[in-house]
Amino acid sequence: MELRVIDKEETELAIEIAGEDHTFMNVLKGALLETEGVTAATYDVNPEQSGGQTEPVLTIKTETDVDALDALEDGADRVIEKTEGLQDAYEAAV
Amino acid sequence: MSYKCSRCKRDVTLDEYGGVRCPYCGHRVLLKERSRDIKEVNVE
Amino acid sequence: MEDYEVQFVDRSERSARFVVRPITPAFANGIRRAMIADVPTFSIDTVRFIENSSVMFDEQIGLRLGLVPLTTPPGEFERGDEVTLSLDVEGPETAYSGDLVSSDELVQPADENIPIIDLKEEQRLELEADAVLDVGKEHAKHQGGVAVSYRHLQAVEVVGDAGEFDDEEPEILRGVIEEQAADAAVETGGYEPENGQLVPTEAFEHDLTNRYPGKDVEVTDIDGAFVFDVETDGSFSVDELVVEAIGTIEDRATELKESIQL
Repeated sequence: MELRVIDKEETELAIEIAGEDHTFMNVLKGALLETEGVTAATYDVNPEQSGGQTEPVLTIKTETDVDALDALEDGADRVIEKTEGLQDAYEAAV
Repeated sequence: MSYKCSRCKRDVTLDEYGGVRCPYCGHRVLLKERSRDIKEVNVE
Repeated sequence: MEDYEVQFVDRSERSARFVVRPITPAFANGIRRAMIADVPTFSIDTVRFIENSSVMFDEQIGLRLGLVPLTTPPGEFERGDEVTLSLDVEGPETAYSGDLVSSDELVQPADENIPIIDLKEEQRLELEADAVLDVGKEHAKHQGGVAVSYRHLQAVEVVGDAGEFDDEEPEILRGVIEEQAADAAVETGGYEPENGQLVPTEAFEHDLTNRYPGKDVEVTDIDGAFVFDVETDGSFSVDELVVEAIGTIEDRATELKESIQL
């Protein structure tokens, strides 16, 4: 996974996450919106045919005392919480 | 070039003088046989 | 860790239906997409034809071979790994997927009865094939999950009696309902009326008037409860597919975390 920071301020982050598609980006965005301190999260992907930027770009805005990069890490943690929880629940139901 | 005569089924080798004709039975229809090489195909 | 509840409606080796809750649409869709495109399976990728005197071109047979599902036990291989298989059938005979002989006992045709080509007298097919482990995103022949979908779990509410002289029109519904008005329901398809029970709509032939005769009903989606329908091509079991698909999302989250920390 290759990351490229496009724009970084204390409470704002725009980052390109190369090699990912809606599968992961939407899950991550959903998790970020549930993460404490995150006020806005979105991502944008252009179709391959459009030329130019095709890798997804994630944009995060956070509350004043929260670093946007830390928030992204919390968001990733949140995804892991979900995946672990669901795997456990599935295996318990089998 | 190796061919097979479509009438007598014998293997035929053509040279540049004889024209297209089976030297054994005179038949003029010859079939090109598939090469015995192993052919590699990529599944797309 | 997040808490989820998983309940099976039906479950077999290759297909299953289960309810997950509470789950967000984003996560549900992520799992669905991962099941289709991100769980790798073996598929024949290169074929060396030693003899093909059948009526079809090498490329046509190659395509058919690529579509034969091969068993892929999770965790045993890495993406890009190769396994060699061979096939040698002489006519008059039909060459089936089961005639493929694998060099690895873990990787076998998932079904033995897929016809590859019908060979007549004097025709012969002899070949060697390399199967490679890759994901459905790369090529559809690597998809392990086929027919993977989800929809809301639905609740049926009885809002009153149907008018005595109303036309008897069917109330068609597809999916799974969670019984919430057992008093007004009758037993159908072996499902006794019981509140909280999951009833597939097949149980009442997808017609709510069979389950709630003479009643006026209202159907609503239950927030955060999704019914997953999963079917595999036999490369692995449904259970393996689901767990692996969730695992691919987790792997990416872990990778993202590590990349940030650098």
